[in-house]
Amino acid sequence: MSAIGAKPAGGAGLDTTSALVGIIILIVILGAMYMLGSSVALMALIGVIIGGILIGFGVHFVPVGGAPAAMGQAPGIATGVAMLAAGAGLAGLFGGAWAAEQGLAVAVITGGIGGGLMMAITCFMVNFIYVFGMGIPAASGKVLKDPITGDSQPEFKSQGTEGHGLPFISYVGGVIGGIFGGAGGTLIYIMLLDVYKESLPEMFGAQAAQVLPIAITLAGLFAIGIFLVNAVLAAYNITGTIEGPHDPKFKRFPRDIIASAVASAVCGIVAILLVAM
Amino acid sequence: MSVKIEVIEGGMPHTNIMIGGLVVSVICIYLTYLNVLTGTQLFAFFGGLGAIAAIVWGSHTIKHLCSYGIGTGVPSAGMMAFGSGLIAMLFATRYGVAAPIVAIILAAVIGAILGYVANNILSMHIPVMIQSLVEMAVIGALTLMGFAAMMTGSFELSSMTVGQVTILGLSLPSYQASLLGGALLATVFMLGGIAIQHPFNACLGPNWTQDRMLMLAAECGFLSMIPAAVMSMALVSMPAALISLIVSLVGWYYTYANYIVLSKRDAAEWLDAKPIPELEGH
Amino acid sequence: MESIVFGIGITALAGALATVAGAAEDTESNIGSQGDPNSQVQLAPQMGYIHRIFNKAVAGEPPAYGLWIALGAGIAWAFMAMQINPILAIVLGCGLATFIQGVYATTAYLGRTASLAKFGQPVYVDILKSVTTVTMAHAFVAIFTTVTMCHLINAALGHPFPLPLLGLIWGIALGAAGSATGNPFYGKERQYQSQKFGAGVPIAASGNIVRYAEAGERNSLDNGWYTAKLGGPASGVCFGLIVFLELWRTVLFEPVAAGWGAIVVGIIMILVFAVIDRYIEVWARKTYGPYTTPEKEASS
Repeated sequence: MSAIGAKPAGGAGLDTTSALVGIIILIVILGAMYMLGSSVALMALIGVIIGGILIGFGVHFVPVGGAPAAMGQAPGIATGVAMLAAGAGLAGLFGGAWAAEQGLAVAVITGGIGGGLMMAITCFMVNFIYVFGMGIPAASGKVLKDPITGDSQPEFKSQGTEGHGLPFISYVGGVIGGIFGGAGGTLIYIMLLDVYKESLPEMFGAQAAQVLPIAITLAGLFAIGIFLVNAVLAAYNITGTIEGPHDPKFKRFPRDIIASAVASAVCGIVAILLVAM
Repeated sequence: MSVKIEVIEGGMPHTNIMIGGLVVSVICIYLTYLNVLTGTQLFAFFGGLGAIAAIVWGSHTIKHLCSYGIGTGVPSAGMMAFGSGLIAMLFATRYGVAAPIVAIILAAVIGAILGYVANNILSMHIPVMIQSLVEMAVIGALTLMGFAAMMTGSFELSSMTVGQVTILGLSLPSYQASLLGGALLATVFMLGGIAIQHPFNACLGPNWTQDRMLMLAAECGFLSMIPAAVMSMALVSMPAALISLIVSLVGWYYTYANYIVLSKRDAAEWLDAKPIPELEGH
Repeated sequence: MESIVFGIGITALAGALATVAGAAEDTESNIGSQGDPNSQVQLAPQMGYIHRIFNKAVAGEPPAYGLWIALGAGIAWAFMAMQINPILAIVLGCGLATFIQGVYATTAYLGRTASLAKFGQPVYVDILKSVTTVTMAHAFVAIFTTVTMCHLINAALGHPFPLPLLGLIWGIALGAAGSATGNPFYGKERQYQSQKFGAGVPIAASGNIVRYAEAGERNSLDNGWYTAKLGGPASGVCFGLIVFLELWRTVLFEPVAAGWGAIVVGIIMILVFAVIDRYIEVWARKTYGPYTTPEKEASS
């Protein structure tokens, strides 16, 4: 939240023991789901876990500079990583939920494109403001050359700063992050919606059309809840700021994939057991 | 954080606030069960009071956690709390009278796993991480359950999913016009999520004082209760909603006035239309 | 055919509402110094720069707007469920949400400022009285337009999500778009107006925000006046484009090829924006040229 704030001492490595414990928890939850619920429920849980991993992985692509970015002191978008990813992912979820009746593949891709479009426009407007509002060209502080365009970066960095704006690699990272976030959120929503649509009429003894609002709300709320949990975990992993896929912090993503899988599994099994038990 | 805050400085110890918040919150949520026993909805406002107790406790837990510097903003902790608490709370509503207890246990389990994930797999190594996330999930679940009980008159799933629609003078049950069917829980989610993180976010700084932050937490709770009471007009009987509204307005006024008094006590100066004071050396 | 024309009309209206919402949101948050530039308002007194800027740290913009919009939408939904006319219901809901926003703004200012007592930052009650109302007015515009847009999406375009859920989603997206676009303009260009144009603020200058105006002392209304010229409209264009293009591609192209039409159009639009962005980036590099950077700077 500040330019002078001390960063917490989060190491970059993967703690093998903890990762193994995490995988064991994951397997136990999957086993429990198989014992307690039907195979449909198990498939839904796997879908939720994949969605959670997509969200967690996607957050690592989103270039966020936090408070220093608002002062042109660091590259990236000037806001919080978890909530920016949530903004893009939920905009994707909006599109994906709209296309839900067109089948899983179309809905998930629509959701992903929705999130990517949101990030494409936002990143474009960020560069627009930097260039035309403040007269500052984009420069990365972490790499010497942009890995995509090959543009050299250090000489465009103004004095006393770590870089500013969004170099093209960060722009592409933002769009990819939005696509993963939107697709992951939509996948969770559709998986849960299918489970609820199937189970709720029986549970309430009502017609499918009558309980549809409940199913949509439950699936939508849980998708948002699981999205936020995964986005915040990923934000913890990158300790708040990242420049995009070229940032050294990006290499921390393997441990976040395990973390997202476990967190989504825990939340997912409870969300599914709400109706399946 | 711009300012490094000492871990805990004076005031009530965190354990006392935690136990107090938990007990008061559970008792208040259970008091809404008087609705079922007496066959009215007039006791719904106790749910809101239970949620406020949980918010006061939660603001202190956030202070406890964020004083270690978690690398991202304070609000994210509130979002995490409610994301995990929401799932536990909705699952628990299936268990009728036992719902608050089930919610606490389930939220604690989810919070413990999330805490382990954050602390060990993500290598954050913050001493209070697991305990804080357990508390946050429980707080999230209790706050949501409290407000849900206040807005529907009961903490059971059936009352949250079935509402009444009046068409041409006929009152019909409807799944759409309910707390869940209308997704009012999304509003409650954000109300609680902001109320829980705001007290610490607003009061952080070198002159942080515990009583001022807790008073602000109570103020945020009552403030959140006002729109919850207004929204409950669509779901519970009008007298019950009005009682909730009056309780929340009175409580809000009292806590807001007290918060201003405490801010006046702690502020360097309290000026009205005065220029920037001249400090030596500048 | 008629339904498509109707859909396009609603889409255009929703896009226009979103544009107004984005502009009002950014101006509101800049008057209140919400979002990331807030860190500098918070930092300044610690560096010895006492100021008269509003310090409204309710939360980051996305969660805060997630609440205001979800609240306006939730109360509007409740009133509509009570058979109240939708327009009246939305106005009442947004009014109450604005009240909540105003109360949060005052408690945030009092809390942050009182906690800075050690550095001698006084609480200015006149700021509270004169600026809070202005942020509330802007917040009302932002909330009302966004809730109306959500109602149109739900009622006229038939999105399955209920109104409060749509409010939550678009509120967070509004805050994210507004803070991403508007924050640098307020943070760098206005707070650090005395620093060199065309360069980032050197980290050593952090906290030295501009505190005096052409005449007298700068207040937060001056900041809103300034950012309303570029940061606000740009945020509005950003959010308006997001809403309009998202709805437009769905309404017009979703029937094409069982949903794949909307996907293809979306991909094309992403590519178009990428090309424009790359063009701007190269243009800036050529026009502004490299800074003369000493080699040893890497050690700092």
